[in-house]
Amino acid sequence: MRFWDKLLAVDRRWIYVVVWLVVMLPLLFPFAIRPVAMPPVEQLFNYIDTMPEDKALLISVDYTPDTEPELHPMTLALLRHAFANRTKVGVLCVGSVMSVGLGVNAVESVTEEFNQHATTNADSIIYGRDVVFWGWSTPFVTVLLGMGEKISNVFPVDYYGNTTEEMEITPHIRNYDDAGILVCLAASSIPLSWITYAQVQFGLPLGCGITAVSAADFYIYLNSGQFTGMLAGMKGAAEYEELVEQKMVAEGKDWGLRRRATEAMSSQTAAHLAIMLFIIVGNVAFFATRRRKQ
Amino acid sequence: MNLATDPWVWIAALLTIAMFSFLYRENPFYRFGEHLFVGISNGYFITFMWHRILVPYLFDPVSQGQKLWLIAIAIIGALYFTRFIPKVSWLVRIPIAVVLGYGAGASIPRAIDGHILQQIRATIITRASFTDTLAGPGWQLGLWTVIIALGVICTIAYFFFSARQKGILKPASRIGIIFVMVGFGASFGYTVMARISLFIGRLQFLLRDWLGLIG
Repeated sequence: MRFWDKLLAVDRRWIYVVVWLVVMLPLLFPFAIRPVAMPPVEQLFNYIDTMPEDKALLISVDYTPDTEPELHPMTLALLRHAFANRTKVGVLCVGSVMSVGLGVNAVESVTEEFNQHATTNADSIIYGRDVVFWGWSTPFVTVLLGMGEKISNVFPVDYYGNTTEEMEITPHIRNYDDAGILVCLAASSIPLSWITYAQVQFGLPLGCGITAVSAADFYIYLNSGQFTGMLAGMKGAAEYEELVEQKMVAEGKDWGLRRRATEAMSSQTAAHLAIMLFIIVGNVAFFATRRRKQ
Repeated sequence: MNLATDPWVWIAALLTIAMFSFLYRENPFYRFGEHLFVGISNGYFITFMWHRILVPYLFDPVSQGQKLWLIAIAIIGALYFTRFIPKVSWLVRIPIAVVLGYGAGASIPRAIDGHILQQIRATIITRASFTDTLAGPGWQLGLWTVIIALGVICTIAYFFFSARQKGILKPASRIGIIFVMVGFGASFGYTVMARISLFIGRLQFLLRDWLGLIG
C-alpha cells in the first residue's frame, strides 16, 4: 500500500488523538492571542455602552449545559458590561428549564465579582435593585407577548420566590418600553422567536449570542438590521470579553477577571490550523490516488 | 497538580471521560452516562414543572379560590393523558387543536412581517445603501448590498424548478450554485469552530477544575 493510500485509510481514532493534543497543549502552554472585535460584536457593545441611563438590559439565557462553553462567557461578559455601566439588568429563560441553573450561576458569580471590589452600598450590585433573575416560564409565546404588556404578570415571582411587584427594580423594568435592548443567548432558533413576537409586535431592539454552528443562519438578520449586533461562538464571546476588559481597565477597574473564552483562543487557533491541514492533506491524498487509479 | 476535593467535580469529570470513551468504541461506561443524562434531564424537568409552574401558577391560586377559570384550562391540558386510554384517546385532539390554533394565530402574521417582508426589504438597493456609516465607507456597503441582491436572485433562480434551466435562467442558476456552495463552506467552517469550542470547554473543566493543572 502506498503512502497516500495508507493516509486515506488511517484509523479515525488517530485523528482524535491529534485533535486532543492540539487542543490540550495550548491550554497547558498558552500563547497570547488578543482578540480583535469584529463589526457585529462592536455594534452590540457600542449600542449597550451608549444606551440611555433609564433603559435596562434584558438577557434571555436560552442555552443548556451542552453549549455552555460557547455561550456562558457571553452572559458573563454582558453582565460585567452592564454592571460596569450601572445599567439595570433583567435576566430570564424561555427556551429550556435546563437554562435556569446557568442563569443563576451567571447572575450570582458576576454580582460577587463586583461586590468584592465595592466599598459602599451605592457601589455594590444589589439583587432586586440593580439586577433581577425572573427564572423560567412557559409557554414561550405567551411569555414573549405578555412581557410587552407587563413583566410582573408573566413573572409574578422571581426565581428566588420574591414577589416581583414588591422589588425595587420593577418600576424601572415594567415592560419592553423600559428595555434598551434584549440580548438572546441561545443554541437554537429562539432569537428568531424574539424577532417574531417581541420585535414585530413591540419594536424591541434585539441582539443575539449564538453558537458558531448556527451563526451562518443568523447573519441575514444582522444584515437586515433586525439584530443590532451578534456574538458568534466562542470567538464572539472572546471579542466581547476584550471590549469589556478594555472599558473596565480604562475606568480603573483592572481586576484581572477570568476570561474563559479568551483563554481558549490559543487552543481554538491551533485546532483550526490542524483541521485546515487535515483538509489539505486529505484532498491531496484523494486526488493523488484517483489519478493513479485512472 | 492540585486535584479537586469536591466530589461533584469528580463525578462530572468521570462522566465526561465516560462520554469521551465512545470515541474509542461503544462501551458500558458510555451507555451508563447516556442513560443517566436522559433520566436526570427528565427528572429535573418534571420536578421543575411541578414546583415552579404547576404549584405557584395553578394549585396555589385555585386552592385560595382565585382564578377558578384555570380549572377549565387544566382539564383541557389533562386531556393529553387520554392518549393512554384507547377508548377515549381521540380526546387528545382537543388540547392539540387549542395549542395549534393559538400557535398558528399568534405566529403567522408576525412571522410574515419579521421573516419575509423585513428580509425582502433588506435586499432592496437604494441610494441610502451607498451612504457612509460607522460600519464602513459607502461604496463598500453599497457593493455588499449589490452582491447580496445578486446572490438572492441567483439562488432563487437555481431553485426555480418550474421551467427548464436555459436562457437567462442558466447563467443565473450557475452563479446561484456558487453562492450556495459558499454558504455551505461558511456553515462547515463555523461547525468546526463550534465543535472544537465545546471540546475546549470540557478540557478546560478537566484540566482546571478537576486536575488543577491550569490557573
